[in-house]
Amino acid sequence: MTWAPFLALSFEAFGSLDFWIGAMTLAGIYAIFTLGLQLNVGFTGVINFGQAGFMAIGAYTMGILVADVGLSLWLALPIATLVTMAAGLLIGLPSLRLRADYFAIVTIAFSEIIRYVAQNARGLTGGNQGLLGFDSQWIDVSNAVQDGLAPVGLEDQFLAPLLIVTWLTLLVLATALRYLQGTPWGRVLRAVREDEDAVRALGKNAFAYKLQSIAIAAALGAVAGYFLALNLAFLNPNSFEPLYTFIGYAILILGGLASFFGVIVGSVVVYTLLEATRFLELPLSASQVAALRFVVVGLVLILLVAFRPQGIFGKRQEMVLGD
Amino acid sequence: MTEPLLEVSDVAKQFGGIRAVDGASFDVERGSITALIGPNGAGKTTLFNIVTGFERGDRGTIVLDGERIDRRPPHTIARRRMVRTFQITKALSAMPVIDNMALAAPDQPGEHLTGLLLRAPVARRREKEVRERAHELLEVFGLSDKAEEYAGTLSGGQRKLLELARALMVEPRLVLLDEPMAGVNPSLGRRLLDHMHELCERDGVTFLFIEHDMDVVMAHSDKVVVMAQGATIASGPPAQVRSDQAVIDAYLGAQVKA
Repeated sequence: MTWAPFLALSFEAFGSLDFWIGAMTLAGIYAIFTLGLQLNVGFTGVINFGQAGFMAIGAYTMGILVADVGLSLWLALPIATLVTMAAGLLIGLPSLRLRADYFAIVTIAFSEIIRYVAQNARGLTGGNQGLLGFDSQWIDVSNAVQDGLAPVGLEDQFLAPLLIVTWLTLLVLATALRYLQGTPWGRVLRAVREDEDAVRALGKNAFAYKLQSIAIAAALGAVAGYFLALNLAFLNPNSFEPLYTFIGYAILILGGLASFFGVIVGSVVVYTLLEATRFLELPLSASQVAALRFVVVGLVLILLVAFRPQGIFGKRQEMVLGD
Repeated sequence: MTEPLLEVSDVAKQFGGIRAVDGASFDVERGSITALIGPNGAGKTTLFNIVTGFERGDRGTIVLDGERIDRRPPHTIARRRMVRTFQITKALSAMPVIDNMALAAPDQPGEHLTGLLLRAPVARRREKEVRERAHELLEVFGLSDKAEEYAGTLSGGQRKLLELARALMVEPRLVLLDEPMAGVNPSLGRRLLDHMHELCERDGVTFLFIEHDMDVVMAHSDKVVVMAQGATIASGPPAQVRSDQAVIDAYLGAQVKA
């Protein structure tokens, strides 16, 4: 074996604006997605493996309301968010009393049920053909923003408006969540993470807090789902495979538990890696390259867990002390 | 005499074929210190769990200050100012000591999302009060210098103190302590007992505690309730219970008369 193929590696992609706009849009979307996981796992001690399912419910509800029902996109967004939160409550009510690991199993099953419904309820979701035609109102806005970007020379980047809106939303949400963590409400959540019985013994309804945590995470999943839908311009069940929940967990571990800004950095790292490996010029087939992307992310995770188990921004003490 | 603060009548609980609690009845008088004793496996902790709502009894009634509380969830019972500690301390390890304390305070609108949104100034004012009270209590319990440290860094004895201090943040009328002295060194234990007496005498807080150390029980309680095999077999002042034949039998085994 020679090193030649590796020398043929091209770093051209890193210099192109297209690459960064595409990768950072995805990073923003999955950072919003993972903020929900962080709230559940890092701050409430609830293991949610169903985040892709909530993302699907939000995205499809929005898509169906606009494309099939004919609602305005701006009306469909809040309705779809409420529907997704209701789904979060629905899954949480019977199953949040289960121990953490059993709850995790319930949520992954739930998210797969959602995906199979999306795949098979063809009249409603278009099945594997996909759902189209929900983004015309967004495209109007996007075009206006794009024209406004002419002074900075971004008028050729049709994805730039989505990138900007995604990141503004992400920063607002992360800041809001961080504020909430500093409130007495956030303190009860963290206490639930530490010991539910102690919380109940002190007069707090631990169950209600876990439900709120799931409902908010579901809403964050839905918001990420809207941006994903606008990014792809069509909805397909494959976008909501459990794989994406696990990419969310990779982001979570990389960024560090119990840090919302860690999520943002984690997502930037993971999506830079995932997107950059697309451009590797190796003597491999397309499917091998696709697999290699995850090998690279996996290697980074292994190195991280070995040398910095708390992640980039996590607090080591909180890991060690969590009995 | 006024009615008791806590009245437990004929409570029973069966786990599969085991009758963990089988006909337990006793009263806790207002402003008293009552000890609950009995051999290992007598059902003391299970009874505690039932009284505080962590387990549901199969039968019997529990009345707190004239109000039925059996079949209520633990958090609503705690809000009636009856608070418990656990045999194995439940310090919230990855949270600072001060947050452990502040968490326990009642009537904080900032603990609810609606309260945060609509009553933010009230929540902020309350938080200030809560923190002051927390620092006062930490001072009393000699944990002031640990306020900002993670609770997980405390020693076993300090955790017991923290748990009692935290329970007091609830502004309780009745405190249930499950083996407060277990694993605590004698001087810390002495301090814990002093605090208990002081709170009882000065603030009228009522205590019910499970304890195995007979010297502690005899010296520090107004009343002793004895459990054996799930049932309460005796109750009364320490001196009287000590000479009760049923109690002696339960602890030492009944003498087989030839």
